[in-house]
Formats: sequence, C-alpha cells, structure tokens
Amino acid sequence: MSKDMKFLVVDDFSTMRRIIKNLLNDLGYANVQEADDGQTALPILQSGGIDFLVTDWNMPGMPGLDLLKAVRSDPKLAKLPVLMLTAEAKREQIIEAAQAGVNGYVIKPFTAVTLKEKIDKILEQRAA
Amino acid sequence: MTPGRDSTPRIFELTNMTSGIDALRAEYGSSIATLAGALAAGDEQLFLSELDLLVHRRERTLFSELRKLTGDLQSALDRFSVDSRLVDLAEKEVPDARARLDHVLKMTDEAAHKTMDLVEQCGPLAERTARSADDISGKWTRFRARQLQVEEFRSMVTQLDVFLVASRTDMDRVRNNLTEVLMAQGYQDLSGQIIRGVMKLVSELETALVDLVRLSRGGPQAAPVAAKDTMSRGFGPAVPGVDNGPSVSGQSDVDSLLAGLGM
Repeated sequence: MSKDMKFLVVDDFSTMRRIIKNLLNDLGYANVQEADDGQTALPILQSGGIDFLVTDWNMPGMPGLDLLKAVRSDPKLAKLPVLMLTAEAKREQIIEAAQAGVNGYVIKPFTAVTLKEKIDKILEQRAA
Repeated sequence: MTPGRDSTPRIFELTNMTSGIDALRAEYGSSIATLAGALAAGDEQLFLSELDLLVHRRERTLFSELRKLTGDLQSALDRFSVDSRLVDLAEKEVPDARARLDHVLKMTDEAAHKTMDLVEQCGPLAERTARSADDISGKWTRFRARQLQVEEFRSMVTQLDVFLVASRTDMDRVRNNLTEVLMAQGYQDLSGQIIRGVMKLVSELETALVDLVRLSRGGPQAAPVAAKDTMSRGFGPAVPGVDNGPSVSGQSDVDSLLAGLGM
C-alpha cells in the first residue's frame, strides 16, 4: 500500500475527525474521507475505493462495532483493514471487537506515535 | 358504648346485605325459577340449557373480576419498576453524573492549560528565529552590495551555520508542539461523550418522575422506562471513580490483551 491509499475516518465528533485527518496528513496520507457514523460510512465503503477504515465505537445511529460487523459480513469489504479508535475501555468490549475481526484497537486519549505505530503494523501484516 | 353509637353500622350492613340479596335475586331469580319449573315438569333439555346459561353468566362476572385484578397487578408492577428505577437514579446515577461532570471540568482545564503551555513555548522559538534571520538579512544585503569586509563575511558565515542548525531544531520543536496542540483538542470528543451521557440521564430522570406523577394520579399506563445502554452501543469514556467494570488502564494494557488473543 502506498501513501496514495484512501482512508475513511468515522467519528461523530467533528473535532476528532479533524485531529485524525491532520495526523494522517502529517504521516503522508493526504487522501482522507470522513463520515459521522456507521450509517453514513457504510454506503461510502460499499461504493468502493476506501483502503483503510478508522472508526470510533460510540456513535449515534450505527455504532462502530456494528459497522465493523457489517464490513466483515460484506464479501467485497471483508478484508478491509479496520482500526478502532475509541474511548471504550472495557476488556469485554476489546475482546468483542477482536472477535468481530478488528485489525487494531487504539484507546482515546491517544498519541500521534501510537496511531502511526498501529497503522504501520496493520499495513505490514497486510503486506506479509 | 351507647346503643346509639353502634346502631348505625349495623343498619348499614343490613342495608348492604339487603341490596346484595336484591341484586342476586334480580340477576338469578328468573333462572332459578326456570330451573325449578323445568325440574318439576321433568323438562331435561330446558333444565340443562338454563343451567348452561347460568354458568356462563357467572363465568363472565368472574372473568371481568380477573381482568380488573390483572390490571391492578400490572399497574402495581409499573409503579414498582418506576420506583426502583428512581431509587437507582437517585442513589447511584445522580452522584455518578456529578463525578462525570467533575471529570469533564478537569479535562477541559488540563486541555486549556496544555494548549497555552505549548503556545507559550512556541512564542520565544519563533521570535529567536525571526531575530536571527533579521540580523543575517542585514549583513546579507550589505554582502550583495559588496559592502562587507572579509572579517564580517567570515562572521556572517559562522552566524549562518549556527542559524541553520538552530532554526531547524527550533522549528522541529514548534512542529511537535503544534501536533501536541492538535492532540489536546481531543478533550472535546471525550468530554462531549460524557456530557451526552449525563444529558441522557437527566431525560431519563425526567421521564421517571413524570411516570411516577402519572401513576400516583391513577392516570393511563406509564411509558416503559428507557432501557440502559447495551454493550454494542458503547459506554463512553471511563471516568475515574465511576466505572467499576473491568476496564483497561491504557494503550499498553489494550496491546497485551490483544496479544493474549493472538493479535
């Protein structure tokens, strides 16, 4: 995957979307699209062209976990890298996200370094 | 006790009993007469059909009593559910909400101070770079106009070397601080999620109180109390001293949990 890859950032707070978008830009990923919950994200994903999904968990409409499950159950999207970036910190939630097929889990508040590490790790695993 | 004092209830009881018997006579008298007549006349068919009618009428009365009892039980259960939800709200969730809002205050305070600290650190760095550039710029202009002496030129080159290294270091620090300022704005998401949770609690409290008032007035059946968040929807950020469930303490905890799951 190159720096041209297209990210979709899903979070109901526009400030957080802006933070993630800026960090991705700093990492060299200039192609970033945004959605404010799972319901708006899913049609964007289904229409194709997204290479990496970064999603929050707690959102009105469709929460991030349901979005993850919808992605994994769609044959066209099943292999899409998904990074969960959320304040949800219960152990059972992290286990459930892992069982639902999440590729990485970053807990808020997070650092720019952590985000970079997790994205790099997911992309390395994809390339291997 | 005077005879006059206890005579009133007895009269009342007698009147009641009389009116009860009268009602029974009015309801069942004709049926009993028909039954007795049919029995005396040996009319088996009439006797059985009249008996069926009588039993059916009695069952109808019983069913209506049962319906009323069920209604009473339902409303008692509703009242119990509203009451216990209110107790839960008052004893646990309202104090929790206070702790949550307190945490929001702390978070906004920390974020504002962090942002200002970073901005204050950037100011002198930008100023030093601008001052050095200005100093070199004056000498550079004279150099271009061939007015600079050799010694001055040598000094300018040394100054330029120092400036290039220092400005690189300073601008790296400014860039890092800008990223930190950006990250500090994450408080808006976290505090926003907590405030939304408290708003939801306030509206739940309002609904429970309205339901309680409606039930105490014997009004229509109360709306069911809103169900609590399921895990799939999420619980929001962990608040110190509030969330007692098993939570992770930070990113390293998440990483080791996921590593334990083979990720």
